[in-house]
Amino acid sequence: MTAAWRSFSAAARIGWAVDANWTDPFVFLALVVAKPLSAALILVVMVQVISGGNAGPLIAFVVVGSGLWSMVTAGIAGLPLSVLDDRERYRMLKYLYVSPADFLLVLLGRGVGRILVGAVGSVVTLAVGIVVLGIPFDPGRIDWPLFVWGAGWGFVMVVALSVVLAAVCLQVRQEAWSYPEAAAGALFLVTGAVFPLGVLPGPLQALGLITPLTWWIAAVRTALFPGSPSSIGGEGSLFASLAGHVVPTSAELAIALLATGAVGTLASVVVFRLSERRAKDRGLIDQTTGS
Amino acid sequence: MTVPVRAASAAGRSARPAFVGRVTSSPADAAVWSRRQAILTELRAVRGRAYPRVRAALREKSWVLFEILLPFLATSAFVFVYRALQAPPEYVGFVVLGGAMTAFWLNVVWMMAAQLYWERDQGNLELYFAAPMNLMSVLFGMAVGGLFMSSTRAVIVLAIATYVYGVTFSVSEWALLLAVFVLTLAALYGLGMILASLFLMWGREAWQLTQALMEPVYFVSGLNFPVVRLGLLGALAVATIPLAVGLDAMRQLAFGGAGPTSGLLPPGLEALVLVAMTVVFLSLARFFLATLEQRARREGRLTVRWR
Repeated sequence: MTAAWRSFSAAARIGWAVDANWTDPFVFLALVVAKPLSAALILVVMVQVISGGNAGPLIAFVVVGSGLWSMVTAGIAGLPLSVLDDRERYRMLKYLYVSPADFLLVLLGRGVGRILVGAVGSVVTLAVGIVVLGIPFDPGRIDWPLFVWGAGWGFVMVVALSVVLAAVCLQVRQEAWSYPEAAAGALFLVTGAVFPLGVLPGPLQALGLITPLTWWIAAVRTALFPGSPSSIGGEGSLFASLAGHVVPTSAELAIALLATGAVGTLASVVVFRLSERRAKDRGLIDQTTGS
Repeated sequence: MTVPVRAASAAGRSARPAFVGRVTSSPADAAVWSRRQAILTELRAVRGRAYPRVRAALREKSWVLFEILLPFLATSAFVFVYRALQAPPEYVGFVVLGGAMTAFWLNVVWMMAAQLYWERDQGNLELYFAAPMNLMSVLFGMAVGGLFMSSTRAVIVLAIATYVYGVTFSVSEWALLLAVFVLTLAALYGLGMILASLFLMWGREAWQLTQALMEPVYFVSGLNFPVVRLGLLGALAVATIPLAVGLDAMRQLAFGGAGPTSGLLPPGLEALVLVAMTVVFLSLARFFLATLEQRARREGRLTVRWR
C-alpha cells in the first residue's frame, strides 16, 4: 500500500508539474476556466436567441449541464494525454512501464491533476452562472447526501472513461491528441447534459440510460437545484415508459448511478488490461509515430 | 581544380560528379541553384511534408471513428439542443455548417499551430532548419496534408447531417459560396502558420493554449448561432477571426440570407475581408517565422526539448 501510494503521489506530482508549473497561477486559472465558460456561453446564447430572452429555468439547465461537462472534457484527457506525452514526446513510457510501479497506477497519478483542474472549471462555471447570469440558487435546499454520492461517482466515472481512452491511445498513433475531445463530444449527445434525453430517438435514449454519466449529471443537478427540469424523464420519454413515472426519484438516481458506475469502472479496467497486453505483444509501448 | 568524382565501376562506366546529380566544377558552383531547381525543391518539401499525413490517414483506421463519427455525434448534440427548444429549421442548418467547419479549425489548431512545437520535441525541427528549403514549404505541406483529412471529415459530417436532419439549403450564388469557402480556408491556414511560428517560442503552455483556441473561438465566432447576436464582440470576431467571417458569409449564402440567416455584413463584403485576411496573415506568417526563427536561434530554443 505504501509503495502504491508512493508511486501514485510521485506520478501526481510530476503530472501537476508538467501541466501547471510553466506559468503563474493566475494565467493558468484564466486558461483553465476560459474553455468551460465559453462552452456554457455558447449554449446560453443559443437558448437566448430562440427564447427571445424568456428562457427561465432552461438557462440553469444548460449552465449546470455544461459546467459539469467541462469536468468530463478536461478529466478524461488526463490519462490518454499522459500516454501520448510520455510515449511520443518525452519518450519515457517504456521506462515507466518497466519500473516496479503498477503501470495503471502511474497513469492514474499522471492524470488526476487534469480531473481536479476540470473540477475547478466546473465550479467556476457554476459560480459565474449563479452570480453573473442570475441563476436562482438556494444553498439551504441542497440535497447533500445525493450531491456527495453523485460527485464521488462522477469522479470515479471520469477516471474510468479516461482509463478506456488511455487504452485506446496505447494502440494508436500520435494524432490521438484530439481523441479525448472527440469522445467527450460524442457522449455529450446521450447524457442529457444540455437537453432532455426525451428529445432523442428511443435507441439513443436507451444508450443514455446505460451511461453512468447521464445519472451523474441528473443526480448532481437534482441535488443542487431541486425541482429543476429532469434531463432523464419527461412526458413520453423512455424512462417514463419504463419506470411508470415522469421524474426519477433521488433513490432511483443513486441506485442507477451505483449500478452503471460499478459496471463501467470494472469494464474500464478490463479494457485497459487487454490493451496493455496487446501493446506489449505488438511492441507499441515504445513506438513513436508522427505525421 | 580537381573535381571530386564517384568511383567509376570496373566495367568502365563514366565517372559522375558528386554534387547533387548535376555536373558542377566545385562545391561553390553546386551551391548555386537555378530558380527552377529552387522551386522544384520547395515543391518536393511540400509533397514530403504532406505525404505522412495522407498516408497516416489511410493507414490508421481509428481516425474514421474518432475524427468523423464522434464529431458528427457532437454536432448532433447541438442539433438536439435546438430541437428541444423547437427552433426554426434554419438553426439546425447553422449547427451542421458549423460542425463541418470546425474540422478545419481543429486541424489548424492541432496540426498547424502546435505542430512546430511538437516537431521540436520530437527532434525533427532542427532537420527542417538544416534542409535546403523554406520553412513556409513545410507549413504549406502540413496544410495540404491536413486539408485532406479535415476535408474528408467536413464533407462526411455535412452530408450525413444534411441527410439525417433534413437540412435544406437555399443557394443562389454558388460561385460566391465556393469562393468564400476557399478564401476561408486560405485565411484559416494563414492564421495557422502565424500561430505555428508563435508556438515555436512557447513551451508546455502549448496544450493549454490550443484548448483556449477552441471553445472561446467557437463562442465569439458564432459557431452555432448568428454572430450578429453578439453585437460588438461579434463584429470584432468578424474583423479578426477567419472562422467567424467565413461562417457568417457561408450561412447567408447557403440559407438565403433572410430572417435568422441575415449576417453582419453582405457576403460580398465579407469575401473581401477574407481576401484581406489571407494576404495579411500569409505576410505576417512569413515575417513572424523569420523573426521568431532568429530569436529562437539567439535564445537557443530551436533544439531545446521538453521545457
